[in-house]
Formats: sequence, C-alpha cells, structure tokens
Amino acid sequence: MSYRILIVDDSPAMRAFVKRVMELSGFDLADCLQASNGAHALEVLRSEQVDAILTDINMPLMDGEEFLRRVEADESLRKIPAVIISTDGTDTRIRQMMALGARGYVKKPFRPEDLRAELERCLEVRQ
Amino acid sequence: MIDTVKEVLAECTEEALEQMFFVRPLSEPAAPHSAESPHVVAELNFQGEPSGSFSLSVSPAAARSIAADFLAEEENILSKEQVEEVICELANIICGSVLTRLESRITFRLASPQIVKAAQPWETGQALIQQFHLWNGNFTVGFRTERPVCAVHEYVS
Repeated sequence: MSYRILIVDDSPAMRAFVKRVMELSGFDLADCLQASNGAHALEVLRSEQVDAILTDINMPLMDGEEFLRRVEADESLRKIPAVIISTDGTDTRIRQMMALGARGYVKKPFRPEDLRAELERCLEVRQ
Repeated sequence: MIDTVKEVLAECTEEALEQMFFVRPLSEPAAPHSAESPHVVAELNFQGEPSGSFSLSVSPAAARSIAADFLAEEENILSKEQVEEVICELANIICGSVLTRLESRITFRLASPQIVKAAQPWETGQALIQQFHLWNGNFTVGFRTERPVCAVHEYVS
C-alpha cells in the first residue's frame, strides 16, 4: 500500500529534506503534500485526504500545538496519525505533544530509517 | 562542567552534520583556502533554564556544500537565500539538540535563527566555542548562557 503524507513545516528546505529522506528510506510514498504552518495545513486537509501528517512545532501563524488541538477537535481529522518532527526532544515536550494527540515523535537530527520506522509504526504498516 | 557542555556541543554538532547533512568533520584542518570572504553566520536566542544564545559560523564554500547536500542540489544552482536557509536550519537543529541534552526535564523555546551580516566573532571568555574542520572550510559553533549550566541530564535516545 502507498501512502499520502502531509508535511507541515515553515522551512521549504526542511520540507524538501523530509520528502527526500522518506523516498530514500524506502517508505512507500504515493504522494507528498506540503504546508508552511498549521493554518495552511488545515486548509489543505479540507480538500485533500492524507494517511498521515508530519509536523514541526515552532511555526508562524499557527504552531504545531494549536494545529494538533484543531486536528483532535475535528472528528473527520482526528483519525489521521500525526507525527511530530522537532528539535525539542525534551521529555516534557514529548509528553505534552503526545497528550495533545500526536501518535509519534521524531527528534532532529534523525536518520532516514528513524523517520520511516516511526511513520510505519504510526500507520501500523506490516512488514 | 564546562568540559561536559563542550563535549555535548561537539557531539550534537557532529551528529547533526552526519545524520542530516551527510558531512563528517575532519580531525585536522584542511588546507587553507584562499580569498576567504565573510562567513555565513546564523544566531538564535533560546529561553529556558538557563536562557542564552547560539551561534554558527560557516565558511562560504562549506556553507554552499552543506546546503547542496541537504537539498540534494548542485552547488552552483543554489541561491544565497537557499544557502542561508539551510545554515539557519542547521543552527536550529544543533541548538535544539544541545538544549535537549542539557535541559531534558524542562521545555525550552527557540527563536527563529537569523543570518547576521558583519557578525563579530564570539570570544572564548564569553561563550563556549568549538571549531570543526570540513574538507572545504571551517565551521564554528558558539554557545552562551546568561548563567552557568548546572546540570547535564543523561541523554536517552
């Protein structure tokens, strides 16, 4: 099965990198949508169906925390697994984001295989 | 404690370079490069326990090759803005990684990295400075806090 993934990050360079490492890692990527912040991501999700969301936390206009709250509050969106990709790997932050509804967490820096493993765990991909 | 923080700074920098920028620092300086134009310098402030700031200074040739590796593009087609964006991202990753190890039981806030034109080099007395050698230039990171860091928690990967 191939997956449609939404990458949410204010850095175009980081979005391009995440897309590339997903491909390099062998993750079965059908399509990759992108958004530059939480508000933009919600707009994308109104018109597009995705299998998983990869999101940063620190972003302008709407950060990852608020984005996750909005996703969780929406019955049609909350079933989509969200994985945080962040430089903040503190225990407190990880617990906070998981309590808000994140299903996975990848700390930067990461290897391509780390991202693939976390994404597949959240998507319950069977090897 | 200063030595421990310096070790963390070195480990986090090497890890970020290797895992996400596909660059391995050299143990000795490469041959000096002629016509060294100003380095690409990114700085960011952070709030936490303690608060402080972080600086990353990369020689122009090294900055361009790091950006090319990160973006999987040819060096000669990259714009100055693309190179600066990648150096800001690298500063963000290294600083976040250092703070995760130093302040792992509390949260911290990173401001957005900014490119600093005509940056003054940080002095050793004011900050912890670590220099790395890449095949095509130098790479310096600086870390300073408003008060000494008093605890380094064990890092759990």
